[in-house]
Amino acid sequence: MITVRVPGPLRALTGGAAEVSLDAVTVRGALAELERKHPGVATRVLDASGAVHPFVRLFVGADDIGDLAGLETVLADRDELAIVPAIAGGAHA
Amino acid sequence: MTRRALVVGAGGLGGPLALALGAAGLELWIVDPDVVEASNLHRQVQFTPADVGQPKAARLAAAVVARGGVARGFQTRWTPDDADDLGEAMDLVVDGCDDPGTKFGVADWAVAAGTPYVIAAAVQLGGNAMAGAPGAACYRCLFEAPAPALQCATAGVLGPVVGAIGGVAAALAIGLVRGDRTHAGSIFVFDDLRAGADPRIVRFQPRPGCPACARAPVATRRAESA
Repeated sequence: MITVRVPGPLRALTGGAAEVSLDAVTVRGALAELERKHPGVATRVLDASGAVHPFVRLFVGADDIGDLAGLETVLADRDELAIVPAIAGGAHA
Repeated sequence: MTRRALVVGAGGLGGPLALALGAAGLELWIVDPDVVEASNLHRQVQFTPADVGQPKAARLAAAVVARGGVARGFQTRWTPDDADDLGEAMDLVVDGCDDPGTKFGVADWAVAAGTPYVIAAAVQLGGNAMAGAPGAACYRCLFEAPAPALQCATAGVLGPVVGAIGGVAAALAIGLVRGDRTHAGSIFVFDDLRAGADPRIVRFQPRPGCPACARAPVATRRAESA
């Protein structure tokens, strides 16, 4: 079982849940399972070609999946997958 | 020697950033095109009802000055075209604006100028603050392009969240201007400040082919890996 950390802007799609626990072997599999449980989340993370959107980064623990095996990064039990989108917020300038 | 900082955005994040940096002795140039609205007051606590209708940049500068600091406000939108004029001889750039494109523009400009910078953002219950400095991974190394609008104006933000994120951003900024690069190339991510104040701190690597890093002064590129 791993935990996916859902950022605030996507929690409307998870019923307000900040964390989703699920079983997955890889990051790609985790996103697929997340999409099955909460439709719409994965499309905010992956583009039509299945690649991670350029304004989103995924981290397993403190490691960027780009420094690991990307979407094929293997997950271990109790791993934490964090979705970190670029956000704005503060003031118009 | 007095250090000078450019503050982009005079709202919920720019307020705590400017007050902290001003109190730390930096001379501030503050840019923001907007005027204070009554609906801002719950999260932009540097303003009072008497400021409603007045330019945010000037009122925030006045708040800094009232506390013994040195600041000037410019009621203008930050753009790359006039950034060289506004940002001349800056020792630090901090961004707390609400526009995704501007955040990338500010970061790209700071990288090209070889200037340390902090990009802060807050939406709903959380936010993040990223510290950048010459030679470290930059904001565009982290996020390659602006996201669709995820802004306070559309998504909302809990009032105290901007104060908390702005305070963290100010601490990072003060560290950078003092030459502390401990967190350069790192992002502090706060998922939900109601649930906990401990950030996820992620240090990321320069991205090969990053177009912003390619415009950095040659002497500063990838200094950490040289």
